[in-house]
Amino acid sequence: MSNVISAKNLTLAYDNGRKEIIKNASFNIKKGDFVFITGPSGSGKSTLLKSLYGQLKPKEGNLVVGGRDLANIGSRQLQELRTHMGIIFQDYKLINEWTVAKNVVLPLMIAGYSLDVQETQAHRLLKHVKLSEHADKYPLELSGGEQQRVGVARALAKNPVVILADEPTGNLDDYSSNVIWDLMENACQQLETTVLVVTHKIPTIFSLPYRHFIIESKGVYEVH
Amino acid sequence: MKFIKNHLMFILPLMAILLGIEFYLVFDRTTDSYEKGLKEGYTMLVVTKKPVTLQKLKQLNPHIATLEAIKRDQIVSEVAKGVSKESRKEILAALPYFYNVGLDSYLGTAALEKIKKDLEKDATIKRVETFGSSYSSAYRLFAFIKFLLKVFIGFMGIVSLFLIIKQMEIWKYAHRERMQVMEIFGAPLMLRAGVLFKVAIFDAFIATLLTSAVFLYVKFVWAAQSGIDLMMQKQDELFKMTDMAILLGVALLLVIMAVYTVVFSSKGVQE
Ligand SMILES: Nc1ncnc2c1ncn2[C@@H]1O[C@H](COP(=O)(O)OP(=O)(O)O)[C@@H](O)[C@H]1O
Ligand SMILES: [Mg+2]
Repeated sequence: MSNVISAKNLTLAYDNGRKEIIKNASFNIKKGDFVFITGPSGSGKSTLLKSLYGQLKPKEGNLVVGGRDLANIGSRQLQELRTHMGIIFQDYKLINEWTVAKNVVLPLMIAGYSLDVQETQAHRLLKHVKLSEHADKYPLELSGGEQQRVGVARALAKNPVVILADEPTGNLDDYSSNVIWDLMENACQQLETTVLVVTHKIPTIFSLPYRHFIIESKGVYEVH
Repeated sequence: MKFIKNHLMFILPLMAILLGIEFYLVFDRTTDSYEKGLKEGYTMLVVTKKPVTLQKLKQLNPHIATLEAIKRDQIVSEVAKGVSKESRKEILAALPYFYNVGLDSYLGTAALEKIKKDLEKDATIKRVETFGSSYSSAYRLFAFIKFLLKVFIGFMGIVSLFLIIKQMEIWKYAHRERMQVMEIFGAPLMLRAGVLFKVAIFDAFIATLLTSAVFLYVKFVWAAQSGIDLMMQKQDELFKMTDMAILLGVALLLVIMAVYTVVFSSKGVQE
């Protein structure tokens, strides 16, 4: 029961099942695990993450996340499940017509926290990602590295059970990358957050024990 | 500029629908008494040998509602001017009885013929004149104009609805990214569509106010100067404050339906 994510013979496909990307993958991820996922580009790393936050239904096999069977999840239940996830995208996916501060507290807004709470939390979160002075700016006024730090702050806002990050440091400067890795390590270590990170390069300075999955030829393999 | 254009693209078709509805309401009210006159002002002429009662006529045909005797003395005094008192009495005795007979509802020519037949079956009734064709043609013409107006307004409504849906597509693109990001973080529909609802409801109010303004102008400025009798007499009927509630209700209903279509059609793709 301590599995946060459990996949059994999981097959993922696009185009109504005709284009298989992942085939017969099985793995378990426990609470507090830190998992790096690597693999050639186009191998299906983003596809796997998409399935984990319910954007792509499994074609075959079982996929259980947070106790929910994602093959047969209702839209209300998926909505609820997603409020316990912190998702980070390579292209940030910030809401450009909102200020940085408002972007960061989106999960709190969804959870129905008061504006007061949202404001104090925005302040705290932006301090963590070293963007305090940018609270009232709009995303497009920031650099790529800064925008991604906003994305990370947003993902951490409500202390999610699991963080799903898709190449979060893709083409960011070292400073931003280091801030982001630090935050994820801290979340994992202090709050037992489960973290899955797709990356093309595992950071050289990384202090936590971690697991390493490789996606290749439609399979998901763990490197020991 | 783009902001204003986007709103206008939504407000104008909405206004077209509201104007159509309000125009119909006003038309209906101002011509109401004319229509009633056509309907209720109608009487048929019944000529009898002996006096009859309403009761009796009702037994012959249930549609008969009123009976009014035409004063025979007056007819005689008109006809027999300068005739002696004796002859006058004779004429009066020979003269049949005339009645205006009213009906309980508007009836077509065929139904009028049926009444005529029913009445003429009775031996005391000499003649029935329905004036059927002229009566029904005036009413028919009016009913036809009213029908055409309904069709035209309905057509305009449909075209406008298409324009609104078209504008909704544009909104969908403008708001899709935000709604999808919010959906990925588990936002419920009402929160995702919050801005759309606000914009749409705002536009519904604006469209209602503009439409009302047009009719208030017609009522207080144009009607008074128009020189059209009907307009001046019925100035009160031209726009009523309750109309505003009707228009707002319709506008809100339309925009809320429109927003729902956008929200449901931009749900996250399940490839
Ligand atoms: N929405 C989609 N429809 C069809 N094919 C897709 C879709 N998204 C990705 N793909 C294909 O699936 C494969 C894996 O994509 P992706 O998971 O993005 O790879 P990665 O993240 O490992 O680079 C690629 O061949 C890509 O072209
Ligand atoms: Mg990818």
